[in-house]
Amino acid sequence: MRIGVMVCHCGNNIAATVDVEAVAAAAREFPDVVYATDHMYACSDPGQKTLEQTIRDLKLDGVVVASCSPRMHELTFRRAVERAGLNRYMFEMANIREHVAWISLDRKRNTQKATDLVRMAVEKLRVDRPLTAKSFDVQKRVLIVGGGVAGIQAALDCADGGLDVVLVERKSSIGGIMSKLDKTFPTVDCSVCVLGPKMVDAGQNPRITLHMLSEVEEVSGYVGNFEVKVRKHTTYVDWTKCTGCGACEEKCPSRKVPDAFNENVSLTTAIGIPFPQATPKRATINAEHCLRLTKGKCGVCEKICPTGAIDYDLKDEVVTEKVGAIIAATGLNLFDHRKCGEYGAGRYPDVVTSLAYERMLSASGPTAGHIKRPSDGAEPKTVVFIACVGSRDRSLGRPYCSNFCCMYTAKQAILTRDHIPDSKAYVFYMDIRANGKGYEEFVRRAQEEYGVEYVRGRVAQVYPKDGKLIVRGTDTLLGQQVEVPADLVVLAVGVEAAKGAPELAEKLRISYDAYGFFMESHPKLRPVETNTVGVFLAGACQGPKDIPASVAQASAAAGKVLALLSKDKLESDPQIAQVATNRCIGCGKCERTCPFGAIRMRELRDGSKRAEVVETVCQGCGICSVTCPVRAIQLQHFTDSQLLAEVNALCRIWDETTES
Amino acid sequence: MAETDRSENERVARLRATVVRELPNVDFVLGYARGFDPLHATPITVRNEQDAERLIFDATCVENLATSLYGLRGKRMGLVVKGCDSRSVVQLLQEKLVDRENLVIFGLPCDGVLDLAKVRVRTDIAEVRGAEFTGEEVRLLLPDGEKVLPRRDVLADKCLRCRYPNPVVYNHMIGAERTPQGEEDAYADLESFEKLSAQERFDFWKRQMSRCIRCYACRNACPLCVCKHVCLADSRDPHWLSAEANLQEKWLFQVMHALHLAGRCTECGECQRSCPMGIPILLLKRKMNRELKEIFNYEAGVDPEAVPPLHTFQMEEDKIKDRGQLW
Repeated sequence: MRIGVMVCHCGNNIAATVDVEAVAAAAREFPDVVYATDHMYACSDPGQKTLEQTIRDLKLDGVVVASCSPRMHELTFRRAVERAGLNRYMFEMANIREHVAWISLDRKRNTQKATDLVRMAVEKLRVDRPLTAKSFDVQKRVLIVGGGVAGIQAALDCADGGLDVVLVERKSSIGGIMSKLDKTFPTVDCSVCVLGPKMVDAGQNPRITLHMLSEVEEVSGYVGNFEVKVRKHTTYVDWTKCTGCGACEEKCPSRKVPDAFNENVSLTTAIGIPFPQATPKRATINAEHCLRLTKGKCGVCEKICPTGAIDYDLKDEVVTEKVGAIIAATGLNLFDHRKCGEYGAGRYPDVVTSLAYERMLSASGPTAGHIKRPSDGAEPKTVVFIACVGSRDRSLGRPYCSNFCCMYTAKQAILTRDHIPDSKAYVFYMDIRANGKGYEEFVRRAQEEYGVEYVRGRVAQVYPKDGKLIVRGTDTLLGQQVEVPADLVVLAVGVEAAKGAPELAEKLRISYDAYGFFMESHPKLRPVETNTVGVFLAGACQGPKDIPASVAQASAAAGKVLALLSKDKLESDPQIAQVATNRCIGCGKCERTCPFGAIRMRELRDGSKRAEVVETVCQGCGICSVTCPVRAIQLQHFTDSQLLAEVNALCRIWDETTES
Repeated sequence: MAETDRSENERVARLRATVVRELPNVDFVLGYARGFDPLHATPITVRNEQDAERLIFDATCVENLATSLYGLRGKRMGLVVKGCDSRSVVQLLQEKLVDRENLVIFGLPCDGVLDLAKVRVRTDIAEVRGAEFTGEEVRLLLPDGEKVLPRRDVLADKCLRCRYPNPVVYNHMIGAERTPQGEEDAYADLESFEKLSAQERFDFWKRQMSRCIRCYACRNACPLCVCKHVCLADSRDPHWLSAEANLQEKWLFQVMHALHLAGRCTECGECQRSCPMGIPILLLKRKMNRELKEIFNYEAGVDPEAVPPLHTFQMEEDKIKDRGQLW
């Protein structure tokens, strides 16, 4: 075998703390290595050209590049190797940047470690075998989970690009949190007025199928051929007949149902349409509060419905959708403000969340846009906003910034002064984060034009006294205690991952962080991809994001899906498990441990059983390989022999240096 | 005491009769016969009534006959098991390495078996002309008279902490069920060992492992070492172990053996019993088992219906929190 080695300087990234020339010189002594050199930037065009030319000139059989993480440039070099006529798997990468140069300044030992890593790569390459990808057909459809503004935007963009779209939404209408907002910052334009047209488009586009009150139950398959089971919870209303006239809502006798759309600020009926712009505009029965479904009597809506759409016997339905790609756009949940007892949240009715306040501000909200305190319906003259409730708070396990609370608090303060001109608005804040286009100017407007009092400091306590809520805190700029007697306290609650996000991530086989936000493939360069090919992210499911950022990411995700599904066939990764049938004893442990259902038992003519890998389903995780008691399953490109070659390359060095 | 003797004699008679009754249904029955001296039993293959007359069962029946099961799979056979042996059978069944339909299990509740090493330090085994076992004592007939040893002094360690004297899987239960004598295993041996410093423990294993002669008796005696012809110790591709008799290779083999038994080992103790060098390798396996008990609350080879924790895939385990701090 003839092996070539290229050691990369990566400018000064590697060369500053690793003697790359010495590494190359050492590599020349390794078995089968016929050529070793160093290069300023191996990934650059001249670097790759040198690589290709050397492969041709010296008739190399394989190449080792010692440079950065394979996550960065493995594909770059595999392509270069392939252009030069080699199989792309006859290539190994030694990571001497992230694993060596960036973590230690000790040049001598760095050089030693880099040499060791190159030796490991060479030894593995010596037992590498060419692998060939197989190609398969793709489904030109996309499934989008979540019908908030990100999901809607992604759906519209994908449909515009000619894909069929399946949009799965947990609630009975699309629109998400944006549909609950009164106004949006920094333009103070009507939220549902700008979102409404998009909701209508999504509802009417023939390419978009909406599954409402639905949840993803199971995901199987792989990029290009996902099979997704969607559970459609029953609405007890036949939506093919319902016209959204609202007659049922008027007559429903169960009138004490907390109105979830209005953040439980008001009450609603057991059957109804959540808000005027709801899409699709169809009625749904809340089974928990329906008298017919809980007590067996009533049935008023059934009698009143002009189209006979009510059917109390409807059941949940599970539909299977075959799609080529999936976009997760599950959005966010708000922090449970009741966890902050010092603010009296949950105890005093006049301490409300920002989203509840938003509903009070909305003309289509429960108070028709008039701000009224929940306790007595009086118009509040002093409103105190407390920022960072459940954000940037390590004691609550939420060290992160929720990104947009500063801005909506400024907006709500401005709206308060607009609605009640003789009112006073106070904002207790830690820092003001207003780093979007026009954001800083907006906060300035709140302070200067609208006279909102910004107090820099945290609130220690909120307690009732003489019909008021006393907000006690510190003004850290003045260095003194302040007390503000308030009529209403609004908590700017922070962002959490959507409920059930980790479980969905597990179904989609994507990673999530400690807070339940989905992980992107690379924070800078692959912000909408996940590490599962064919699954993309849009909006706040990836981290707290405001509307413009969510919409932008949704369009980006749609662009990625359109690019992926523009091909008729995709190539499968050959780095998957393979069964040596003559070794397999048919015990089936691999079948039981495989997280992807990629192994099935095949019966031979003599009736005995053997494991078989479903190549397109296998993700190459290697669990079966370590479970197999007789080592009959080997992960291609990571076989026992290949791993052992690396271990031996390393341990032999250990022996020589430690024994002496 | 005489009563115990009588009931034990009746039990062996019942065992023989039951085996004879089942003989038409099986190719053969594996059981114990008297070995070359009164303190040794030896496995026999019973194919007819005469063979059955040789069957015995007492404290000398130390071997775990389940060790032969995997090699004889596909045959219709009967098997005589003690409580601990039956756990190996359960594990093999769980792993689908043997078929239950092909097995007729004769389960014998057990009062504990001898640790000959413990007898050896008390008397010269070669001199023993006869042995009698009662509930409390072991009476050895020596040329110069009788020697009585307290039974608990010469029982195997595993018997002193035995929780499963009664077979957990069987077709025929022969003899009255025993009350478990052992306490809940507190892993006292491990506890005291782990009190040593890392260097002391390292030195201990270095000393012990350097005595290994790589005879693989431990592997061959293990009922769950089923790789047989493809054992990593013998494999040339991948070449995990070289033939060199150095510390590294010996140690690596023992670590492999222990890891391959993670979640499977029922602590029958055959590996340690068969070791000609007396290396305490069961300690490694007990360490794995304690981890398993702590993390998964699982004990291998107890419930044939249970799914061993390392033979399944679950996104979230009770004691391994992967979903982050908010859940």
